Amino acid sequence: MDYEFLSQPAASVARMTMEEGESLTCEVGAMIAMTTGFEVETTTRKRGGKGGGLGKALKRMFAGESLFLNHFTATEPDQSLIIGPQMLGDVMHFPLTGGSLIVQGSSWMASDTDIEIDATWQGLGKALFSGESMFWLKCTGEGDLFLSSFGAIYEVEVDGDHIVDTGHIVAFEDTLQFSIEKAGSSWIGSFLGGEGLVCRFQGQGRLFCQTHNPPSFGQTLGPKLKPR
Amino acid sequence: MIEFACPECQKKYKVDDKLAGKKAKCKVCEAIMHIPELDDDDDVIEDVPVEEVAAAPPRRRRKAGSAAERGKTIRGSSDYFDFEISQRPDFALVTVNLDEGQQIYAETSAMASMTPNIKLKSGFKGGLGKTIGRALGGESLIINTFSAEEGPGEVTFAAGSAGDTAHHRLRDSELYLQRGAFMLHSDGVEVTGKWGGAKGFFSGKGLVLLKASGDGDIFFNSYGAIMAIDVTDEYIVDTGYIVAFEDTLDYNVSVLPGLRGGSKLKQLFFGGEGLVCRFSGQGRVWIQTRHVQTFLSWVNGFRPTKNN
Repeated sequence: MDYEFLSQPAASVARMTMEEGESLTCEVGAMIAMTTGFEVETTTRKRGGKGGGLGKALKRMFAGESLFLNHFTATEPDQSLIIGPQMLGDVMHFPLTGGSLIVQGSSWMASDTDIEIDATWQGLGKALFSGESMFWLKCTGEGDLFLSSFGAIYEVEVDGDHIVDTGHIVAFEDTLQFSIEKAGSSWIGSFLGGEGLVCRFQGQGRLFCQTHNPPSFGQTLGPKLKPR
Repeated sequence: MIEFACPECQKKYKVDDKLAGKKAKCKVCEAIMHIPELDDDDDVIEDVPVEEVAAAPPRRRRKAGSAAERGKTIRGSSDYFDFEISQRPDFALVTVNLDEGQQIYAETSAMASMTPNIKLKSGFKGGLGKTIGRALGGESLIINTFSAEEGPGEVTFAAGSAGDTAHHRLRDSELYLQRGAFMLHSDGVEVTGKWGGAKGFFSGKGLVLLKASGDGDIFFNSYGAIMAIDVTDEYIVDTGYIVAFEDTLDYNVSVLPGLRGGSKLKQLFFGGEGLVCRFSGQGRVWIQTRHVQTFLSWVNGFRPTKNN
């Protein structure tokens, strides 16, 4: 599978070129356009996988991802598939090589069908209390992973300590230790300052952040609109 | 065809054989380039009809829409005027240079700036039937006419929402546009509504599409970037992402083909891709990379709720 990112950075899409037999699992609604030689399968779990099933699918739904996943399998040689995220922002590729990547729920866009997507991971569940309904997917295995962001994506090579606002996290390697803490020294100050809770990463590993925080944008626009 | 690269910026060009030995100005860095072969003469050709070649060798059989995909400024000239589409793909701005007496027709409130000798006239265009047709196709009843008086002038246009703008040259041909996509057209082009039939109904985009026909230039815009795709046999696009397509293409709205397992209903509602349009034949289709409806439904979630 070849991939190519187009019209970066704000209206980015990924164009995949797939050979016969290759397949890709996508977020539902991610497909924009494609050639005709694909078989599409909608499932509630990993394609052909043992784990999963409805229980896992429900958990995935609560993780901000849709209950169903679409699997695109090329049935003819040299097929092209264009996928894109819903919001204005960028896309990135992460080659997973056996380890795990923790992905913020709405940033996952597509992955190789061999990658296990687990929404049961609760490590950052505490982020709930920050008022940002943030859920996490643990992606494990070997293959390509495609993520999206709101705004641009930047990478931080963590060696030691690094602090990120929870709404700006796209993904991080699970070699990093993390803890949720308040942004300032006092609770009141942290919340008045609008920073709420932050995530402190420790250790060594890669961290991907997005320049903009979707809930912040939504909370800026929402009050200006007529009530529902 | 002769292939060569700009000595300064390595931009690749393909030109006709008869231009061998001439000089040309590079579109990117404006350096003077010698087109190889034959003898030199000193004519500098300002506007060589060059075909831009992608920097990377194309790996795909399906040719991607040349410059329209690389987020670059598009420059061109037509029978009527020179134009430039800059700040692509996120904030496209169209600059049109009009000679004295030339005109361009624009949708309402598209004008961003202009030189003082440009005169604006607002009004209906193309009679009552065409005007109502346009209104049904999601456009305003009024078309603004910009004409240059007493010397050449310049007008810039931008769409209402952030996004891209694309240009297409109609040669006694027809182009179908998504509702509301029309932005500008030159003389010789007529834009009206076109009954899309039941197909339009199923695509959820309203019953009437816009149809541009004639011989001239048309500019259209969308939210997100616009990508041009040359269809050579068949191609599938999610109905929400179609911006425009040439009428040489046949189209057919259906559920995502190839879906299997479960009932049709499951595919329709849980497949998430909803309905797709299958194009067949030869022609070009323009797609947008983002959908404003998705953004609106996301923002909707942040609206305050009424207290009863």
